Amino acid sequence: MPNLYIPMLTTVKNVVSENKVNDIKTLELEFKKEDDYNKFNYIPGQFAEISLIGKGECPIGIASSPTEEGSIQFTIKKMGTVTSEFHNCNIGDVVGVRGPFGNGWPIEEMKGKDIVVIGGGFAFSTLRSLVIYLLNEKHRKDYKKITVIYGNRDPGEVLYRNVLEEWKKHDDIDVVLTIDREEEGWKEKVGFVAPIVKEVGPSSNNAVAVVCGPPIMIKTTITVLEELNFNDEQILNSLEMRMKCGIGKCGRCNIGNKFVCIDGPVFSLAELKKLPTEY
Amino acid sequence: MSGEKMEIMILMKDQIPKLYNELSGEYNFFAPVKEKGYIAYRKISNPEEIELNYFNSKIPPKEILFPQMEVLFEFETDGKNVTEIKDRKDLDEKNILFGIRPCDAHSFDLLEKFFVFGDFQDEIFLKKRKNSLIIGIGCNSPKSTCFCTSLEGHPFQKDDTDVFLVDLGEKYLVEGVSDKGNNLLQQLSWLSKASKADIKKAQELAKKAEDLITTKLDLTNTSEILDSNFANEIWKEVSENCLGCGSCTFLCPTCTCFDVLDENAQYENRGRRIRIWDTCQFCLYTLHTSGHNPRDSNIERCRNRILHKFSYYPLNYDLIGCVGCGRCIQVCPVNNDLRTIINKINSIKINEEENVSA
Repeated sequence: MPNLYIPMLTTVKNVVSENKVNDIKTLELEFKKEDDYNKFNYIPGQFAEISLIGKGECPIGIASSPTEEGSIQFTIKKMGTVTSEFHNCNIGDVVGVRGPFGNGWPIEEMKGKDIVVIGGGFAFSTLRSLVIYLLNEKHRKDYKKITVIYGNRDPGEVLYRNVLEEWKKHDDIDVVLTIDREEEGWKEKVGFVAPIVKEVGPSSNNAVAVVCGPPIMIKTTITVLEELNFNDEQILNSLEMRMKCGIGKCGRCNIGNKFVCIDGPVFSLAELKKLPTEY
Repeated sequence: MSGEKMEIMILMKDQIPKLYNELSGEYNFFAPVKEKGYIAYRKISNPEEIELNYFNSKIPPKEILFPQMEVLFEFETDGKNVTEIKDRKDLDEKNILFGIRPCDAHSFDLLEKFFVFGDFQDEIFLKKRKNSLIIGIGCNSPKSTCFCTSLEGHPFQKDDTDVFLVDLGEKYLVEGVSDKGNNLLQQLSWLSKASKADIKKAQELAKKAEDLITTKLDLTNTSEILDSNFANEIWKEVSENCLGCGSCTFLCPTCTCFDVLDENAQYENRGRRIRIWDTCQFCLYTLHTSGHNPRDSNIERCRNRILHKFSYYPLNYDLIGCVGCGRCIQVCPVNNDLRTIINKINSIKINEEENVSA
């Protein structure tokens, strides 16, 4: 096996500011070597360790879908040292990429089922990947009804607006957007994610619910899903954890004897209930 | 391990320079030396440096294969962006690790199982491990903090070494353990044969050493007890006086956690990505950028250390992640004793059973 700490090199092809306050950006990266691109086989829900070499490395979920060929995308919120450096990135800059890592959304087991995608805030990136994958003409027939419920604090925080508009044009997907408080010009739903999920009331029959967002949103949404008769196997979460290596060696992302980087980041609620509540 | 049983040989202590001179061309020769009043394993350039009269090193010899600071790769830049990445080129060098105690030799086995575990292998460690030959040495006088015999170890256990020495005073009894070790001994044709009296003396020393280890921990049910006592009140008690200094983990031969950092020689357009030892005893270890911390007090952090070694290790690798070297006991500034903690954990079950029968 080669030295797994050495990143593949990519260049920044495009930078998109995703929100009004401009603290969330999406970087589109192109691999310098075609061979590296071909080796980077990923599924929605996986992540990569991306770095500005000399500045530092951090784990970020892959926002693009493998069906979007030619490049990969990462949506990065300006939070700490490395993410702030990423916000100074320009087109043409070199970014190191290691991965793909983690298990990703169980796209095989999800086949033949209704998919309910529930996202809150900027934790929508791997959900973007998932929905684009599901809607792809090669894959759409493998899945039944697709419902997306996506909540944000205010309209300025809604990510991927163009993509969301595109989805709304499809008649084989229901897209429900909501913001926390009423605001002028907002024509979609108003309210927290959990009550909106209740209002939409997706059927739990042969369905999987995929939930990503801040802890309080996840907690309240799980309660609603349970009321809608979703069982623990039908509810999937993607966890975040501080990590360095992405390959199960640096130690810190463990929950019990599992590592979020290699055993996760996607866990069903049933799996989470077996683990200590240390996340 | 070896096909043909090798004879047991003798190495006179005054022949150690000869041994060094014969091997140091082919191997990096690591041996115990005196450093700042303690013993440390260092690559030596002069056999006079070797300290033969020692108990064990302060920092375990894991630092030879997994040093406190280690380069993952080096890079060059054009002032802003990286232009070249340079992989490690020194990993194929051959190493001799001389004078390793059985507990530490066993830790290499645990470290290897950890770094090989899963779909991703840590080649930096594994290549070095593969290219290292371990010359172990029996412990004639274990200390009161030693408890290797509670972990299926023994002060004279040679299983995890390639060549095993027993200190007979003026000389060492030398035994090839692995094929690698036997091949090395064949190379050293000048070694003399051991007499029956030498072998008998070594056996007596082994028995005497075993008797000196008075701590007997019962670890039969510890892992199982830990599995169901994550929320037990005992963790408050165990962590109460812990300062969170992390010494127990930094000096632990089985601890492997590391942080990753980039370093720049800013005006020279080059730098390196390194890993440095980290510890689950520090609050920053698990602190999310958001401010959330899944292990934000000593209670969780102390619990993680114990669970990692005595529950997660058995679950993942079917081994206990402790070799009984006692370094964490010797170094703790507030005298927290792992053996006391284990006994407290073991008593949980007993109390429960008492409750059931009552």
